[in-house]
Amino acid sequence: MYAEQGNKLVDDAKRIASLQHLPPYATTTVRAVTKEVRDLDREVTNLLAPYGSTQGSDGTQIKSSFNPADDPATACALLVNHLSMRRNKRCLLAYHRMRTSKLEEMCWNGIDINDLQNQPVSTPSAAGPRQSTTASSLSAEEEQYAHQYSDLLAAYKGQWTDIDLTGSLEPPKDIFIDVRVLKDAGEIQTEYGSITLTKNSQFYVRQGDVERLIQQGYLQRLS
Amino acid sequence: MDDDIQDILNSVSAPSIPQRTRDLQALTRAWVNERTSPELLSYPTPLIERVMERTKKQIETIEDITGTLDPRSNFTLVILQTELERFKFIVRSYLRARIAKIDARPLHYRALSQSEPTTLLSPLEQQYLQSHQALLSSHYNSSFLATFPQSLQKLDDTSGGVSMVDKPDEETAVFCRALRDAGSVEVMGETATTDVELQRGDLWLLRWSAVKDAVVRGDVELV
Repeated sequence: MYAEQGNKLVDDAKRIASLQHLPPYATTTVRAVTKEVRDLDREVTNLLAPYGSTQGSDGTQIKSSFNPADDPATACALLVNHLSMRRNKRCLLAYHRMRTSKLEEMCWNGIDINDLQNQPVSTPSAAGPRQSTTASSLSAEEEQYAHQYSDLLAAYKGQWTDIDLTGSLEPPKDIFIDVRVLKDAGEIQTEYGSITLTKNSQFYVRQGDVERLIQQGYLQRLS
Repeated sequence: MDDDIQDILNSVSAPSIPQRTRDLQALTRAWVNERTSPELLSYPTPLIERVMERTKKQIETIEDITGTLDPRSNFTLVILQTELERFKFIVRSYLRARIAKIDARPLHYRALSQSEPTTLLSPLEQQYLQSHQALLSSHYNSSFLATFPQSLQKLDDTSGGVSMVDKPDEETAVFCRALRDAGSVEVMGETATTDVELQRGDLWLLRWSAVKDAVVRGDVELV
């Protein structure tokens, strides 16, 4: 029963690593694990209470008359509780870090978090999991984190305007490429004049000009 | 006659490679080293500044040529643009590789850059690292950590058997090539140690910790 909930989080995190989208935030499990930590901490305090322990605010100075050799059973209980608490913390951190990395990846790939949230979730099961993506699967904290991170990223990127940090990480081969328009994207300005991108039309354009549109799924590169 | 010989001698004794070519070489080397080494390497501020300066100039040149709309310059334009794209790609990939490393072990690099004011991180990266860590810890805090007992709220706890600060693995193996004679390095086997002589042009598969100093000196490059 100890740490069973924590395990769930780790399994979840492992699953998320190979998923395209972000599954809903496991609010209940996270809450259960945090509660377990609090319960364990209370138990530790209760166990140590008869020995008149005073625990420092940073938890390092434990002045207690408790001698582990005198009472191995209590000592063991304390150790197990202590280790379980730490383990739970690690599970929680791992789970949250995995999710935040996913969010960061989305920021780097130029997926707008707002767009994902505003997506209508009208077809939950019929169209498969892709539709119900991030609509409500972020916790409020994660939403905030995603916004702040994209601000941070934008600030960092802003210092490298000539390089376009979020550009393609494939080595460039041709500067001009063939693209097909998948969604109407309106008119774009290039050095060779403006192009109107209407659906299903095909263009031979400079890669640097349309990089973002390819990432956002408006254009498809033809090889 | 004498003059002729002097000319030839001059050209042989001082093969003047222009700064630009050397910068490209240095940039490529820094990029490959950064991508293959397990650890973050120092940030070459002057080099990057020079490269960015030139990138800016090249963009202006390209804009100038495009402005003239001379069909004869089209071919030059394609070459210039290709070169520019390639430069941008290397710098982008280089910076992204560094960011990825910083993100993977933020606490380790934060401690490093605080303990000694090195050239390890650029001011921008430093800023990014600090803000990112602040974001992460406030996210953890609001998500679950705030409800934890005091003693478990730290994120850089090194007590309790498991350190929370992840360090890069310095014992991992890297492929490297000696650019000039670089003396000998010690190689540890299962039972004994032996010395390896690094001669110019040699290709070795060695532990990172063994060749690290030589790479920093520039005697050895990673491949």
